[in-house]
Amino acid sequence: MVFYSVEFIQFFVLFFFLYWLVFRQNIKWQNLLLLAGSYTFYALWDWRFLFLLAGSSAITYLLGLYISKTDNEKRQKIFLFIGLVFGLGVLLFFKYYNFFINSFVKVFSAFNFSLDIHTLNLILPLGISFYTFRSISYLLDISNERIKPTSNWVVFFTYISFFPTLLAGPIDKARDFIPQLENKRTFNYGLAVDGMRQILWGLFKKIVIADNCTVLTNYTFDNYPTLPASSLLIGAFFYSIQVYADFSGYSDMAIGFSRLIGFNVTQNFNFPFFSKNIAEFWQNWHISLTTWMSEYVFNPLSFLFRKYKKWGLVIAIIINFILIGIWHGDNLTFILFGFLHGCYFVPLIMKGTLSNSKKVATYNFIPKLNEFIKMAGVFTLVSLTTVIFRADSIKQACHYYTGILSLSLFDKPYLKSVELKTGMITTSFFILFMFIIEWLGRDQQYGIANFGFKFPKTLRWFFYSLLLFFIGMFMNTSGTPFLYFKF
Amino acid sequence: MEKNEISSKIKSILISVLKHENFEMRDDLSAADVDGWDSLTHMIIITEIEECFGVKFKLKELNKLNNMINLLDLVAFKIEQK
Repeated sequence: MVFYSVEFIQFFVLFFFLYWLVFRQNIKWQNLLLLAGSYTFYALWDWRFLFLLAGSSAITYLLGLYISKTDNEKRQKIFLFIGLVFGLGVLLFFKYYNFFINSFVKVFSAFNFSLDIHTLNLILPLGISFYTFRSISYLLDISNERIKPTSNWVVFFTYISFFPTLLAGPIDKARDFIPQLENKRTFNYGLAVDGMRQILWGLFKKIVIADNCTVLTNYTFDNYPTLPASSLLIGAFFYSIQVYADFSGYSDMAIGFSRLIGFNVTQNFNFPFFSKNIAEFWQNWHISLTTWMSEYVFNPLSFLFRKYKKWGLVIAIIINFILIGIWHGDNLTFILFGFLHGCYFVPLIMKGTLSNSKKVATYNFIPKLNEFIKMAGVFTLVSLTTVIFRADSIKQACHYYTGILSLSLFDKPYLKSVELKTGMITTSFFILFMFIIEWLGRDQQYGIANFGFKFPKTLRWFFYSLLLFFIGMFMNTSGTPFLYFKF
Repeated sequence: MEKNEISSKIKSILISVLKHENFEMRDDLSAADVDGWDSLTHMIIITEIEECFGVKFKLKELNKLNNMINLLDLVAFKIEQK
């Protein structure tokens, strides 16, 4: 039941009317409806893991109360420890159990020991990486005395399972989200219209850009041994744009639907491809995960290693990025992906120029040449590492890189069929269109937040209709699930 | 040590780490208001402050900091405790 399916639209329309017309007078009922709606939404995806979601919420809720109630610091630490072991334990079990078993068996077999441990046919519960991080941040914030636990279980359960962001974020922190659940919400026409506009932009990025890129990147990655280097490089560029359009498109829709029901959710992307260095890129990419990691992993680590000055920061950042990589899944490719991104920071840390630079083209309409070169450099670096992110194994990624490093880099890119060639030209046009719009709206929360506000209303509506027309054009051919649902 | 003196020393540290002076030392100044004061430079700033005043912070104390007045109070408290 993806956001643009008929089932979801039926579900949301029914929910919207009950929420704003029937239950709007009573916040308790409104929250109960939100909780029931979120659990129904999750059950329609996969009802088997509802118990895990509810159980995990119940344990975190109780531990939060216990941590807050006791004055004994040792007890507080024990309760926090139980919460962390439980949360991370469940996540590790479902996400990494088979990976650990296979790795153990391989290591032991290298020393001629045969281990008879079987892997399990585990299905990854949807959204587990996202709701586990919400639970952990809640407990850590209570333990650090940054928030008081909520005594209302409906509020807490709704925070964990809030349906627009349940499956793939953004990962809101309790201190930002719970107060919104505790305060009365009134229908805000401006916020709702803004939400609709953001959903439209998200749909455009997902259906028109990401799904069209998928056709080309699948072709490139499936046939990489036979393709010239130029095709492989273009394939890598297209893949990084695909990931961006897919995930930021999803995030725009999640934020848009939240706004329609009166919630402000954390911004997840801030035009990362307009960044001039890798630090800036990560400040603008999957913001809710990177700020989470920065607060709960990088800061404690850099504090721990602070006596080593810049080298302490280097150690902390590399560990932080390896963990970001591992968060994505149980493949060594993700570890390498994280490690490389950590390494990209080393020159910046050593030079002491981390991100103390203004946003690109702050006072200009177009970027200066050196800014453009820096942006292109970041885009190339990121695209090259997304090859590892996409590859099934490190070996495959290495083959892909070997393919890029050849003289055929200057050959004409090869595409097998006329459909693929036409697809590439059309998709390139839409990508250019997306980047121009986003460039013009780069000071806003999303690309078309105030696009065309200075134009006559009819022109602006023509623009929205044009977007809808493009979406409609590719709606039937689109069927690719959101990439981040598998994380 | 007077708060003014602490404030002036912290200002010098910020200028030396961030390499600019585009901020005003006021009580409600937060890291978000200062260009370049992010999670990466934060720990360098904290280490410089520890060395400058000969104090040691706890992570929990740092987590509670919201603005400049919190930082000045914490440094003053730590100096008193020495």
